[in-house]
Amino acid sequence: MSNEKGRKFGQHPWSYREGSTISAAILLIGFSIQAASGGTVLLIAGFPWNLILGVVFLGLLVFSFYFWQKHPVIKGLGSVKAALPAILGFTFLILLMGFVKQDVESRNALVKLFGLSHLVKTWPFILINLYLMILLGIVTMKRLIPYNFKNAGFFLNHFGLFLILFSTALGSSDMQRLSMNCNENQIEHRAVDVSGKVVELPLSIKLLDFNIDEFRPKVTIVDNKTNEIVQNRGIDQLEMLDRDSFDIAQYHLKMEQFLASSEKAGDAYIKAIEPGSAPSAKVVVTNPTDHTRVSGWISSGSYVNSPEAFRLNEYYSLVMLPAEPRKFSSRINIQTKSGKSVMTTVEVNKPFHIDGWTIYQTSYNTEMGRWSELSILELVHDPWLPLVYIGIFLMMAGAVFLFVSGKPKNGGTEHVA
Amino acid sequence: MEGQNMWLDFPIYASVAIVCWLAASGLFLSSGKKLMNQMAAGLSFAGTAFLLVFITILWVNIQRPPMRTLGETRLWYAVFLSGIGLVSYLRWKYKWLVSYSLGLAMVFLIINLNHPETYDKTLMPALQSPWFIPHVIVYIFAYAMLGASSLIALRNLFFVPTERTIKGPIQMADNLVYLGFSFLTLGLLFGALWAKEAWGHYWTWDPKETWAFITWMFYLVYIHYRFRHPSEHKKAMAVLAVSFAILLICWFGVNYLPSAQNSVHVYSE
Ligand code: HEM
Repeated sequence: MSNEKGRKFGQHPWSYREGSTISAAILLIGFSIQAASGGTVLLIAGFPWNLILGVVFLGLLVFSFYFWQKHPVIKGLGSVKAALPAILGFTFLILLMGFVKQDVESRNALVKLFGLSHLVKTWPFILINLYLMILLGIVTMKRLIPYNFKNAGFFLNHFGLFLILFSTALGSSDMQRLSMNCNENQIEHRAVDVSGKVVELPLSIKLLDFNIDEFRPKVTIVDNKTNEIVQNRGIDQLEMLDRDSFDIAQYHLKMEQFLASSEKAGDAYIKAIEPGSAPSAKVVVTNPTDHTRVSGWISSGSYVNSPEAFRLNEYYSLVMLPAEPRKFSSRINIQTKSGKSVMTTVEVNKPFHIDGWTIYQTSYNTEMGRWSELSILELVHDPWLPLVYIGIFLMMAGAVFLFVSGKPKNGGTEHVA
Repeated sequence: MEGQNMWLDFPIYASVAIVCWLAASGLFLSSGKKLMNQMAAGLSFAGTAFLLVFITILWVNIQRPPMRTLGETRLWYAVFLSGIGLVSYLRWKYKWLVSYSLGLAMVFLIINLNHPETYDKTLMPALQSPWFIPHVIVYIFAYAMLGASSLIALRNLFFVPTERTIKGPIQMADNLVYLGFSFLTLGLLFGALWAKEAWGHYWTWDPKETWAFITWMFYLVYIHYRFRHPSEHKKAMAVLAVSFAILLICWFGVNYLPSAQNSVHVYSE
C-alpha cells in the first residue's frame, strides 16, 4: 500500500483500483450493449459452435497463462484484488434479480431497457460470468503449479465452480426443455418449448393411465356470516379426516362414515366412482358445553358437484376442503426412433431416462383433479449435464475440505497476491 | 394426544425453554463460579432438550418432517442456535456467545408464540423426496452457524475491541464462517441435485434460491477478504455484519419481496 501513489495503473502489484475498474467497466459495457441491442435476448450458438468456442477459450486461457504468468496483468487477474470486485459485481447483478421479478414481461421502461427481468440472458450477466471464468481459470492454474496437496481444497472449490460456469454457459443453447400434453390413450410425439414453438421429438409417448393419490381431505369451521375460518388461540382450525374422532375448535367431531369417492343421493351420499365423484363424510358433532348433538353430511365437491357444508348452528358451519394430492403419476408407453418400446411410470421426483432424454411428471388438469385425463410431462435433453455434475461433485468435495481443514492457520499471509 | 393439534401445547414447551435459557444466561453472565457455570450449561441444555421433545412429538403427530412451514423452521433454528452456543461454550468457554445465541433462540420462539402455526399434515409431492431432510437440515445448520458468527461481528462493532482482545473472537468467527459456509455450499448443491430430479433443472433462479445464493456470495467475500487482509479486523467484521443483514432477508424477508410470488420455497403460513 505504501507505494500505491507512485505506481502506474496496471503495474504490479495490482490494487483494488485495477480490479474495480475492470469489473465496473464490464458491467457498464454490458448494460450499454444490452440497452443498445434493444433488449433482445442473447443466445450462444448451439453445437458444434459452442464446443469450438469452449475449446478455443480453454486454449487461450492455458496458453496465456503458460507464456505470461509473470506478466502484471495475469498476476493481477490471479489476485484477490481482482477477485473481490468481480465477485461483488456478480453479486450486484444477482441482487437485482433478487428484487426484480424474473421471467415475466415487465411494463417498467428501465427494466425493459436493461433486460432486468431476464437477467441471466443479458450481456452484463454473460460478460461478468466470462470474466469470473477467466479469473477462476487463472487462479486455478496459479495454485496448481507447482503441485502441492495442501492446495487440493482450493483446486476443488475454484475449478469446480469454473466447470459449473463453463458447462452451463456453453450447454445453455444445447439444452431443450419441452412440455408435452398427453391425453389418455393418445399417442403424442410433439411438445412445445418455452417460447411456445412446436418441436417434433425422436420419440413418442402414449399415456395409458394418469393416477392421483390424494390425502384425506381436511375439515374446518367457518363463520356463517363472514365465511372466514374460525381460530382457536390464534391458530386456524384445520383437521384432517384421517381419524374417527377429534376435537375441532370447541366441538367434538365423530366421523361415522367416510366415502373417498361419492355422489349425492337424496339427503345422503353414496359410494360412486364416476368422473366428478368427490369425497364426503357423515359426521356427528357434539358441543361439550351444552351437550347438543347434530349430525349430517359434508362434501368437498368437484368440478361437477357443488360442495356441501354442514350448518352446526346459527353462527358456524363445518366445511370440507378439497383434498390435496399426495402423489401423481402417469403410466406411459414410450417408443423411440431407435426402436425401443418401454412401458414405465413417471412420478414427481421419479423421472425416467431414455436415449439422452429425461421425462418428468409435472402437472395435470388441476380443475378436474383426480379425474384429469390429461397429464403434463416435461422432456429435458441436456448433453452437457455430466460436466455440470462433475463440477458439482468437485465443489461438494471442496466444501468437505473447507469444513475439515478450516481457515488456513497463517491467515493467508503465506500466499498473498 | 389423539386428535390434538400439537401447536396448542407449544406455549408450555416454549415457556419452559425460555425460562431455562433466561436462567442459564443470567448465571453465565453474573457469576464466575465454576459450579454456577456448570449449572448454567445444564439449564441451557435442558431448554434445548425440551424443545427437541416438542419437535419429536410434533413430527410423530403430523406424520411428516416438521420442516415445511416458517414456524417449523424457526423451531429448528432455536434448537441449533442454543445447541451451537452450548457446544462453543464447552469447547472455547465464550460465555457471552452462549448468552447471545440463547437470546437469539428465544427471539425465534417468541416470534412463533406471536404467529401461531396452522396445523398441516399435507406435503406436496415435489417435497416428498429423500433429499428433503438433508437439504433443510444442512441449510438450517449453516444459517445458524453463520448467524452465530455474525453475533461476534455485532459484538465487536459495539464493544470496540483492542488489537489484543479481538484475536480470540475473530478466530472464532472464522471457524464458524468456514463451517457455516461449507454447509451452505452443500445445501445449495444438494438443492441443485434435488431440483434436477424433481423439476428438470438444477437451478431456476427461484427467489429463495437467488437469496440463498446472495447470502453465499457475501460470505464468499468475507472469506476472500480475510484471506488477503488477515489483520484488517474491523473491516472484516463490517463485512460479516452486512452478510448477516442479507442472511436475515433470506430467512424472513423473501416471502414479502415482490419478486417472490409463486416460489416453491415460500412457506405456507
Ligand atoms: C467466484 C470466483 C472466485 C474467484 C475469482 C476466486 C479467487 C480467489 C483468489 C484470487 C484467491 C487467493 C489465492 C491466492 O492468492 O493464492 C482465493 C482464495 C480462496 N478462495 Fe476463492 N475465488 C472464487 C470462488 C471461490 C469459491 C466458490 C470458494 C469456496 C467454495 C472459494 C474459496 C477460497 C478460499 C477458501 C481461499 C483461501 C485460500 C486457501 O485456502 O488457500 N473461492 N480465491
